[in-house]
Amino acid sequence: MSALYDLAVIGGGILGSAAACRAAEGGMRTIVVEQQTLGSGASGVNAGTLSLQIKRVKLMPYAIKGHELWERAGERVGFHKTGGITLAFNQREAELLHERMALKREAGAPIELITPARVAELEPNLSRQVVAASWCAEDGYANASLSGAYYRTLLDTVGVDIRERTPVTAIDRSGGAFELATPTGTIRATRLLLACGAWLKAAGALLGLDLPVRARVNTVSVTERGPALVGTVIGHATGLLTLKQKPNGSVLIGGGWQGTGSPDEGRSWVDPTTLLPNLRLAMFAVPGLDRFRVVRSWTGFEANVPDFYPLAGAAPGIDNAFLLGCVRGGYTIGPYIGTLMGDLILGHEPELPLFDPGRFVTTAAAA
Amino acid sequence: MAGDLRIGSAWARTVSFRFDGELLTAREGETLAAALYAQGRRTLRMSRDDSGPRGAFCFMGVCQECVVSIDGRLTEACRTPVHNGLVVESVR
Amino acid sequence: MSDYDLIVLGAGPAGAAAAIKARSLGLSVAVIDEAPAAGGQVYRAPSPALTATQPDADREKGDALRAKLAASGAVLYANHRVWSLTSGFSVIAIGPDGPLTLEAPSLIVAAGAIERHIPVTGWTLPGVIGLAGATVLLKAHGVLPGRRVVVAGSGPLLLLVASKIVAAGGEVAAVVDAAPHTGWLARAGAMLARPDLMAKGAGWLLALLKARVPIHSGAAIRTIHGTDGVEAVTIGPVDRDWRPVGDAERTIAADAVCLGFGLLPATEVTRLLGAEHRYEPELGGWVPAVDASLQTSVPGLFVAGDGAGVRGADAAPLSGELAALGVISRLGRGGDLAREATKIATDWHRSSRFGAAMSALAMPPPGAAAMIAAETTVCRCEGLSRAKLDAAIAAGARTLADLKATTRCGMGPCGGRVCGEAAAMLIGAATGWDRATVGQPSARPPLRPVPLAAITGAFDYDNLPIPAPAPL
Ligand SMILES: Cc1cc2nc3c(=O)[nH]c(=O)nc-3n(C[C@H](O)[C@H](O)[C@H](O)COP(=O)(O)OP(=O)(O)OC[C@H]3O[C@@H](n4cnc5c(N)ncnc54)[C@H](O)[C@@H]3O)c2cc1C
Ligand SMILES: Cc1cc2nc3c(=O)[nH]c(=O)nc-3n(C[C@H](O)[C@H](O)[C@H](O)COP(=O)(O)OP(=O)(O)OC[C@H]3O[C@@H](n4cnc5c(N)ncnc54)[C@H](O)[C@@H]3O)c2cc1C
Ligand code: FES
Repeated sequence: MSALYDLAVIGGGILGSAAACRAAEGGMRTIVVEQQTLGSGASGVNAGTLSLQIKRVKLMPYAIKGHELWERAGERVGFHKTGGITLAFNQREAELLHERMALKREAGAPIELITPARVAELEPNLSRQVVAASWCAEDGYANASLSGAYYRTLLDTVGVDIRERTPVTAIDRSGGAFELATPTGTIRATRLLLACGAWLKAAGALLGLDLPVRARVNTVSVTERGPALVGTVIGHATGLLTLKQKPNGSVLIGGGWQGTGSPDEGRSWVDPTTLLPNLRLAMFAVPGLDRFRVVRSWTGFEANVPDFYPLAGAAPGIDNAFLLGCVRGGYTIGPYIGTLMGDLILGHEPELPLFDPGRFVTTAAAA
Repeated sequence: MAGDLRIGSAWARTVSFRFDGELLTAREGETLAAALYAQGRRTLRMSRDDSGPRGAFCFMGVCQECVVSIDGRLTEACRTPVHNGLVVESVR
Repeated sequence: MSDYDLIVLGAGPAGAAAAIKARSLGLSVAVIDEAPAAGGQVYRAPSPALTATQPDADREKGDALRAKLAASGAVLYANHRVWSLTSGFSVIAIGPDGPLTLEAPSLIVAAGAIERHIPVTGWTLPGVIGLAGATVLLKAHGVLPGRRVVVAGSGPLLLLVASKIVAAGGEVAAVVDAAPHTGWLARAGAMLARPDLMAKGAGWLLALLKARVPIHSGAAIRTIHGTDGVEAVTIGPVDRDWRPVGDAERTIAADAVCLGFGLLPATEVTRLLGAEHRYEPELGGWVPAVDASLQTSVPGLFVAGDGAGVRGADAAPLSGELAALGVISRLGRGGDLAREATKIATDWHRSSRFGAAMSALAMPPPGAAAMIAAETTVCRCEGLSRAKLDAAIAAGARTLADLKATTRCGMGPCGGRVCGEAAAMLIGAATGWDRATVGQPSARPPLRPVPLAAITGAFDYDNLPIPAPAPL
């Protein structure tokens, strides 16, 4: 009979890994089971923007904590605190900017409004068509492609077992413990955390849960290395542009423009018809990009539920099972909310409240 | 490396172009990479990483080693035909 | 609304034949190629500057192919680089006049091959060029790779390039072939299937012997020396598994090196469109999985030529015709073509044997990773040495995607097209996995770097389709 873990985490993204680390620190014998490799999902392919200016008001305290954790990770994740500027190019966008940034400021983010002249001082290579802008000194970015390697080290350090290339295909809880079926054998654990990102709906179904999880297909593009253009993280009042230039000179362009495909198909594609406005917006904001070439555009799945708040808490109706996912801005917030989840599993009161999945799911079907 | 590497002598019109300010000649329609290579201009830029010299490698638009700047835009020299008056800068 | 019944990507021998066949059976066809004229790699149109050289069989074939394609009524979009595609199919390109999107219900991908490279210390020096690149210099431009050239690597292009240099009056300091003599003998059966091509190869060999070109089999370059460019080359023996053995090194003065280890099917397009692929070492590596009509697992997506598996220039047009017949049957046009298809398939299989044997000859065995020294630059774009990649592999990187994430290998402008096979060999060497297990890199647009300005074109900010902002 295989070993019995105190906790099995399905999903080796940031959320699952952070929760596993905390649980192991708290003394639980923990395993992370990942269908591909650590950080191969959204956690490894996202734009890495750490911007309080694009965080939801209600999630601001979590985002601020998330920033602190990434800052501590520092070099290991390519962390840079550069400050960030959000731009409005017309009156409608200026109103949106004023209204939203005021609320975010109230929620604790140190955001200030700045004049177009100040923008030109801070970033001389930005478009001169800015009509309004905001600034947050806390903003910056990290390198999401290092997520997997970073968490691999952390998980190793606290003694979490890692099982990669191991999809969980069925969950049996008839014998008391959770028995996870995988192509390479059964994994047994007394507690279970589903942190399956965009695949959370499918994983929930293995427990008989019908989770209203959907996936967005976000697009990111990167240019080859070029001369220095911008030093801060550049955003747009609508949130539809994030842009930063890495120290090596490559420029990363995101903003949540939608590709095609779905988690069920197992693949997603860049949609040239949405890539076009994404790149145009970037070019409009930073005209000097006309000297750059795009070397790669890609997509990843970002999960959400209808209210766009996280699923983080006990699985409704199933003892010792927990759900974690659908965190908007989950790269920024992930390490912190994952840690809170670890605390909940350990039986501790989390520092900030979690987001009870029971708001969507009332009963679990008997499995 | 001395001399010209072009085979034979019956050529179409000769054109001139500038590479980093220097006036060079090419056969009209020849690609920039071939024209520079044939005249011993094999170094097109310095690597950012090891600061070693780099030049055209694949001659088929794949490796990107031959990238130069024309009108401020990055272009593969191996896919750019030379025409009279072309001004080419190397990429830092 | 579709613009055409069929789009053919690539106007080499495979793509051109596919287009001509499809046109002859009444389909409307567009052919798109980034080169200035049809012909592909082997029948590449010579640069217009090159007005007089000695008659050349490949050039004559190329001229015939261009004339036939022009007469067929297929619309040729030359100078158009395809940078993205979507299912269904949209083919998205940048041409001299800006962006171009073509749509059709069927697509034949005939994108040819790229070269396989095994890095060696000094291969970043100017004057070291690809073997395939050397054929471009020689054929399209009438330019010698150097005055005194070392031609090294594996496979039939070694002899082709060396003999062309000699014929053009250049000096070949050495031909250095990693495969042992016996490699050629082991394939003799398949080669005898094509005595004409055998004779061509023998002719190259004879020309080299006559010019007293030293031919080293079972040997490889250890180091390329020089400061501003190639000055000398040190070679040494390798064993049957291509591992460097012994210290019988010799250093040869040279001013250029042509280096290559065979061809890889160009599968970016079929990978981008999500087709299934299989690993077929005899065909150069990863190839799209196809049915008898050369249709991939994606309905309506067909492949032909070296992009379907490296089988050489003679097999390429037959596969193009076969794919064209597949397209026609799928569209329900053109009546009963089964007999014709069977006949073409038979010819294609026969001529494939020779090409595949040649391709297999170039294929590095797993031990070839030992040819790459710790300090050798593997990823040229990002300046990454083998030691750096090995360290990342030791720290847990198991896929090309992992390596990219942790080291940036393959993140540069070549997109891993030059270093990808070498990186996969290193993962294989560290893990003991075969090449098939290491897997393929993911294909993403753009297929080649594209200037942002070329994609975005001129636009009006107020017309950008900006969706509603995310919830507050
Ligand atoms: C393109 C893109 C750009 C983004 N940009 C930003 C940004 O700039 N800033 C920001 O803060 N946020 C950003 N996000 C959001 C952020 O990336 C995600 O919210 C976060 O990474 C989610 O982490 P996760 O651990 O929940 O999911 P994932 O990282 O997707 O991890 C889930 C894991 O579960 C595994 N799994 C699923 N099912 C199974 C199974 N049955 N068995 C075993 N394993 C399984 C998957 O393989 C996967 O590795 C972006 C998202 C995307 C897609
Ligand atoms: C550089 C090179 C040189 C070679 N030289 C010889 C030789 O001298 N003799 C010999 O026998 N064999 C040679 N070969 C092998 C030979 O190419 C093939 O056997 C034969 O040409 C295959 O024909 P094909 O139609 O499949 O592909 P190709 O002839 O390679 O044609 C593919 C076409 O697709 C186009 N293409 C690819 N991607 C794109 C894109 N994204 N957008 C637009 N167009 C695109 C290319 O421009 C090319 O014209 C060479 C191969 C290479 C790669
Ligand atoms: S030489 Fe490789 S892209 Fe031009």
